[in-house]
Amino acid sequence: MTVIARRLAGHLARGIVMILVVATISFFIVRNIPGDPVAARYQKLLEQGMSPEAAERATAVMYGFLPEGTLWQQYTDYMAGLFRFDLGVSVTHPGSPVTSVLGEAAKWTVLPVLAGTLLSFLVGVIMGVYAAIKRSGKLGDFLAISGSLLHGVPQYVLALLMGAIFTTLIPILPQGGTADILFEPGFNAGYIGSLIEHATLPVVTYALASYGGWILAMKSSVVTVLGDDFILAAELRGMRRSIIFRYVARNAILPLFTILALSLGLLFGGAIFIEKIFNYPGLGFLLIDSVVNRDYALMGGAFLLITAAIIVANILADLFYTVIDPRVRSGEEASA
Amino acid sequence: MPGQAPGVRIDGLTVVYKTPAGELPAVRDVALTLEPGTITGIVGESGSGKSTLALSLLNAVQPPGRIAAGSVDIDGLGDVVGLRGEELRKARGKHVGYVFQAAQNSLNPLKTVGKQVLDLGRSHGVEDLRGLVRDARELLGRMGLDGARVLDSHQHELSGGMRQRVGIMLALVLNAHLVVLDEPTTALDMITQANILKIVREVHAERGLTTLVITHDIGVVAEVADRLAVMYGGRLVEQGPTRQVLGDPRHPYTKGLIRAIPRLTGDIAEARALPGRPPTLTTVPERGCVFRDRCELRMDVCDTDDPAAVAHGDRIVACHAVKVREHA
Amino acid sequence: MSSAILETTSTAATMRRNFWRGVWRVMKRKPSRLVGAVIVLGFTFMGVFGPMFYPEVLPRDTSQLYAPMSAEHWFGTDGQGRDVLAQVITGSRYVLLSALVTAVITVVLGTAIGLFSGFKRGRWDTVLMRLTDMKLTIPGLPLLLVLSTVWSFGSALEMGLLLGLLGWGGVARAVRSQTLSLRERGFIEAARGLGLSTTHIVGKELLPSMAPYIAMNMLIAVTGAVYAQVGLFFLGVLPYEADNWGVMLNLSVFGGGALTTTAALPYMLAPLLAILLLTLGIVLVVDAMDEIFNPRLREE
Repeated sequence: MTVIARRLAGHLARGIVMILVVATISFFIVRNIPGDPVAARYQKLLEQGMSPEAAERATAVMYGFLPEGTLWQQYTDYMAGLFRFDLGVSVTHPGSPVTSVLGEAAKWTVLPVLAGTLLSFLVGVIMGVYAAIKRSGKLGDFLAISGSLLHGVPQYVLALLMGAIFTTLIPILPQGGTADILFEPGFNAGYIGSLIEHATLPVVTYALASYGGWILAMKSSVVTVLGDDFILAAELRGMRRSIIFRYVARNAILPLFTILALSLGLLFGGAIFIEKIFNYPGLGFLLIDSVVNRDYALMGGAFLLITAAIIVANILADLFYTVIDPRVRSGEEASA
Repeated sequence: MPGQAPGVRIDGLTVVYKTPAGELPAVRDVALTLEPGTITGIVGESGSGKSTLALSLLNAVQPPGRIAAGSVDIDGLGDVVGLRGEELRKARGKHVGYVFQAAQNSLNPLKTVGKQVLDLGRSHGVEDLRGLVRDARELLGRMGLDGARVLDSHQHELSGGMRQRVGIMLALVLNAHLVVLDEPTTALDMITQANILKIVREVHAERGLTTLVITHDIGVVAEVADRLAVMYGGRLVEQGPTRQVLGDPRHPYTKGLIRAIPRLTGDIAEARALPGRPPTLTTVPERGCVFRDRCELRMDVCDTDDPAAVAHGDRIVACHAVKVREHA
Repeated sequence: MSSAILETTSTAATMRRNFWRGVWRVMKRKPSRLVGAVIVLGFTFMGVFGPMFYPEVLPRDTSQLYAPMSAEHWFGTDGQGRDVLAQVITGSRYVLLSALVTAVITVVLGTAIGLFSGFKRGRWDTVLMRLTDMKLTIPGLPLLLVLSTVWSFGSALEMGLLLGLLGWGGVARAVRSQTLSLRERGFIEAARGLGLSTTHIVGKELLPSMAPYIAMNMLIAVTGAVYAQVGLFFLGVLPYEADNWGVMLNLSVFGGGALTTTAALPYMLAPLLAILLLTLGIVLVVDAMDEIFNPRLREE
């Protein structure tokens, strides 16, 4: 166990440092914006007839630190708030703390991105195996080329093309939003059907955008494993094709699981373009909105959340690899 | 049970590899007989085609190579060159055991040895899987390992010598009586090397096997083999009983090879390296003797005619010069 | 003495000639690569000279808003009646210029840091690589969005500068591992043994052997920069200062409703097509370079 524990401790320490660094960056961006939004807000509240004390308190609630006071004081206040999961209050969502705005948006990001990731992983891995086995034939060429193309094209190009095809030229899918307003939100068939209908385009686009990477990764992994000695050895021992196939598949997919774990880090910030294009109110959409409206507390919070997810996924990916690969895991036996 | 040991007759075997320059022979017109119950050693430098020859015994030459001509007739199996699909698969492992080069990783890194024994059993329709595992454990114990522990280990937890013994176990556990060992001791330290060779000899005798050992190390062959075949540029240039070949080499290549070994006693300067380099797939001459460029006995006929393998008593030598001398 | 100099210059000349012959051979074998080179050259030409063919302010034709594709307007017109193709051409300068700046900064910074790290090793290496790791962990697009509140992207140079400053991590890592692998092969020790100075080793021995690799990374950086900045403008977080492909995409979708009606579709497709074409050209050129500089591939 010691190896895993030591690894975990090291990763956690590094992860916390990273998150602090990112928080510091977002603090200084908010604090040092030309025109000082914190002071401006305070000023505005005063002009609206608020008493200086009340205005100060309102501003502090919004940004997590007092408009006056030294930089250091503001910084420690902000960081202390962070540890209480207090990220301030959003300007554009009056009265709502940033955390609850983020929580509301997160559900519209996490589920579609998760669905898209799993879908593309599944299809990409299977197609990758085919691309590897048929690599000298036409089918293999086609799969590899289509993979490289989809992998190389930026997400927004794909999303715009998908939108142009399925909402403009052949309008069979809704253009944006999460569900038709005709339906009462809740657990009823109409609403859920509409939810799925609206999620189709974002999910499929996200899946297409990541599919190329999976197929390329799986193909090269399978080709590498096929060239390994133990596959030839298994053949020479007269192992059944189905068993050899399993040997190849398991060994080839192992490195991909790590990439999968890493890509789950994109759960919160991976679909910015897609959300914007399909008008889907997830975290990416929120981040863009907060930037456009200069809602700095919200912006900092969203950025922090998106980055923290990636850091956590990095840690999980490494631990996961330690668990599934006996070669890494055995370090523990040697040292125990 | 020595009666079970099969004999093997290789005849006219030619293996070609497809290259941009056309199909080039890696093994050309090789004839070799493995008598039942003997250990035969094939010696050659890397690139001489010895591993390709070994793979031909299981009809397992890897693309872009293929067996272009000849036959490999194994008692109880028939001509394996003609075997296809399931028939071929079942012959591998069950009739012919193949032990990989020690330096190679011949085990699935993600599964324990025991699970791979079970996979092997299932592949060959073994009903008594418990019995199979017991056999595996005993075989490993016979080779001086803690069988139960090894079966529970992954490849990376085993040393080179242990892996090699596991490889031998996997080749024997299905009761194959023809065993091919490809560079069984390469990349092992001297002590382990000696150990493995001892095991090979003992297991061979106990189980009544026919064994083929492929190596570049004459020492290995001298240690274990009853008969010795020397390979050069895809051809068998000389074969015969090991002692005779080593004590009185006839072919100029064999002579050069033996002269290149430093003796424990005597002057080290007496060891002389063979001048020149062995041919590769692309530099093997199309016509004439493959060895002529490095040969001190070269004659005009060597440039045009490939010397036929001629039997001289127990010995078979493919050399124009030797033939001339014998007949003179 | 002079004959020796003559000799070296002439060998250099032959080498150069051989190189160009090699390039030509590689190009000829797969005509698609020639196409790639033509595309990249075409875009370069467009970026340099394109804007000269058009007036500073493109003429508006208010009778033709979102006009369909026609002989007069190949890709129709935008919401103000301006020719779409003309906008793509005039907009190319900003896109390509900033991509070039990004590429140069990425390569110079990445190579310098990677070389330094791999060459010095030890403490500096650890610090620099931690820093690189950190930069690679922080997601690029969200960071750009946040930075867009404090950074002005008015000119192509500024845009390129920022993207370059954010983008050197990958190249640094790659160059470092190349340096380390050359080191492992005894390359550097051998040069040291010959009494060569560090400057000489880095400048004359290491860099040339890595140059093709760096050049390829530069082309990849160009594509990345094009995507990133067109994407940023498309999201609408930047002021619409320049005639820009991203701005066109934004206006066509969120102004013209290209995702609901067909009228603004050509307006959207034109810059998309330009991006795809440029990517294709660069990918093909990278493929060709790969073969020119990688002798192992050439032999096949």
